[in-house]
Amino acid sequence: MIEAPFKKILIANRGEISIRITRACRELGIQSVAVFSDADRESLHVFLADEAYHIGPSPSKESYLNYKKIIEVAVAAGVDAIHPGYGFLSENSLFVQACKDNNITFIGPTPKNMELMGNKISAKALMIKAQVPTVPGSGGAVVSVEDAADVANKIGYPVIIKASAGGGGKGMRIVRADHELESAFRACRSEGQNYFADPTVYIEKFINDPKHIEIQVFGDTHGNVVHLFERECSVQRRHQKIIEESPSPSISDEIREKLGAAAVRAAKSIDYVGAGTIEFIFDNKTKEFYFMEMNTRLQVEHPITELVTGFDLVKEQIWVAKGKPLSFIQSDIKQKGHAIEARICAEDPVTYKPHPGKIRACRHPQGPFLRVDSYAYPGYEVPIYYDPMIAKVITWGENREEAIDRMQRALSEFILTGIKTNIVLHKTILNHPTFLDGSYTTQFIEKNFEVLEPEIFKSVEDPVFLIAAAITAYQDRKSKDVRRYSVASNWRRTGRKIQLRT
Amino acid sequence: MYFEAKLNGKKYKVDVHEDKNLWKISLQQENQDWVHYEISKNDYRSAEEYISFLFNGKSYLIDVVGQDTEYTVYTRNSFRTINIFNDEMLLHESLKKGGTLGADTQLKTGMPGKIIEIFVKTGDSVKAGKPLLIMEAMKMENELRAPNDVKIKEICIKQGDSVESGAVLIKFEK
Repeated sequence: MIEAPFKKILIANRGEISIRITRACRELGIQSVAVFSDADRESLHVFLADEAYHIGPSPSKESYLNYKKIIEVAVAAGVDAIHPGYGFLSENSLFVQACKDNNITFIGPTPKNMELMGNKISAKALMIKAQVPTVPGSGGAVVSVEDAADVANKIGYPVIIKASAGGGGKGMRIVRADHELESAFRACRSEGQNYFADPTVYIEKFINDPKHIEIQVFGDTHGNVVHLFERECSVQRRHQKIIEESPSPSISDEIREKLGAAAVRAAKSIDYVGAGTIEFIFDNKTKEFYFMEMNTRLQVEHPITELVTGFDLVKEQIWVAKGKPLSFIQSDIKQKGHAIEARICAEDPVTYKPHPGKIRACRHPQGPFLRVDSYAYPGYEVPIYYDPMIAKVITWGENREEAIDRMQRALSEFILTGIKTNIVLHKTILNHPTFLDGSYTTQFIEKNFEVLEPEIFKSVEDPVFLIAAAITAYQDRKSKDVRRYSVASNWRRTGRKIQLRT
Repeated sequence: MYFEAKLNGKKYKVDVHEDKNLWKISLQQENQDWVHYEISKNDYRSAEEYISFLFNGKSYLIDVVGQDTEYTVYTRNSFRTINIFNDEMLLHESLKKGGTLGADTQLKTGMPGKIIEIFVKTGDSVKAGKPLLIMEAMKMENELRAPNDVKIKEICIKQGDSVESGAVLIKFEK
């Protein structure tokens, strides 16, 4: 047996990604250390790790973003490496430095990598130097409304104003005409200040109705950089991805090769180390692509790349952090078949509003060519403090059709009650002609699902719901004395069950 | 037992009768004819944590959550929230609301969260669709808007409060 690269890894994250990393550690014979906030004592990631430590109150700022506390716990637990997962501290160069100062290996890129790509303006300048296509724009920070107007008139409307430190849909405004410019400019600056403590904004040409296609890259400390092909992530609501697939149904092999080569050039230009993703905007009409940003971390949707390439990206991250060269070269990497991921969120499938609460029944799908990365279980209370994503369902097929059919099948098996989820929305999307023919863009959901409520729910006839509600209401009123204990709803459930058995 | 129910904006009259081995359920959607269902208790029975419901040849695993006048029924990755009232509840609701069934006299929250900002004060008149307050839940800021043209009678929360699901946030004048 190969000696394990590390003895003990602390996972500075929560939920499904913490579990994903614990699994990689266990397969490599590494002890795993989970951390948790007040709200997460009963989160599944705490149960599955070898060790678990409390790191503070529920709000992320006081726990999962409190890197001093996390380092303190890491030192006390005697770990030799930290994996940050995605989000939280994963792209915080101060955290990486703090790891280094305490002789702990950070599993991820160098602080320099992060700083270069973390600022969108400097990243874009670097990409232009590396001959990676970028969107025409201000080329730097825009500090006054007058400058903004100059740039906008030069590149032509529509334009988009973005907070330099922004992300996740915050600090962005589309402007279609001169008179909208001033208020949008001010709004972006104030959102940048409020959410990211940086009011810097820049301007770019707005590409209408694009696709979002990204390339997984991997570098090591020996100067090797490869790509693991693309993921298409154009199915988005509130600017956040909910379905991803690999390969993309809408690019030719020629464009695929160009995208891969551009991404490798981008990563090489900054001596990138570890797993990263170069995100591109793809104009489906002109077939042009433009660099959007680089995420210097593991992505939520990494499993689809794992399924089509056959490589375990988290284990690879760990080996690269140890200083080993990549276990594969470019010609080893092939796309085999097709993979799709659906992000299951605790949210209303029509309004997309989060719907935290207590899960009652929970049974995950099973069966061939299926992967479920989830931290849901019966009785678990989904907390209000964090991202609403509770599970990822990933299917593989010989081809796209099979992967989609398999996803439909898997989602039909997924039982999750007590909270609202977007499973029913996923099923509707997977059945939509624009999704099926692969022509969907990032505006797909906005355009097609705004007023589709009855469509989404039409899979079940109304009488089914009415009859079930009526029988329950009847039973509740028949057993009023039991009903009074509404807090202990188990009483009511038991009462109802006893009645059903008669 | 007679109920009135609301599902997805549609109103129904519902009659439930229980026999030893049979549920007899009649539904009448507003302005339509009564439809009668006879459901054998063998076709509507508990299985594990769920109810297994065989209906019109289809098999549903069902879970019902709720109490009093509001039930959410989950099945086949789908769900519906149904408001259901019987005579006593109807009376109670109408007294409580001081108006007809469904009159909006208060703003309630459907999820737990934290109050970030309140835009209105007692006595304000607010047009339908205008924002009343911002509540944060699960990393997102959600704007809650006026359901109709309303006049603010009482604000039951203050900035920074954490609220539970179902809490009354603002009361409106009738």
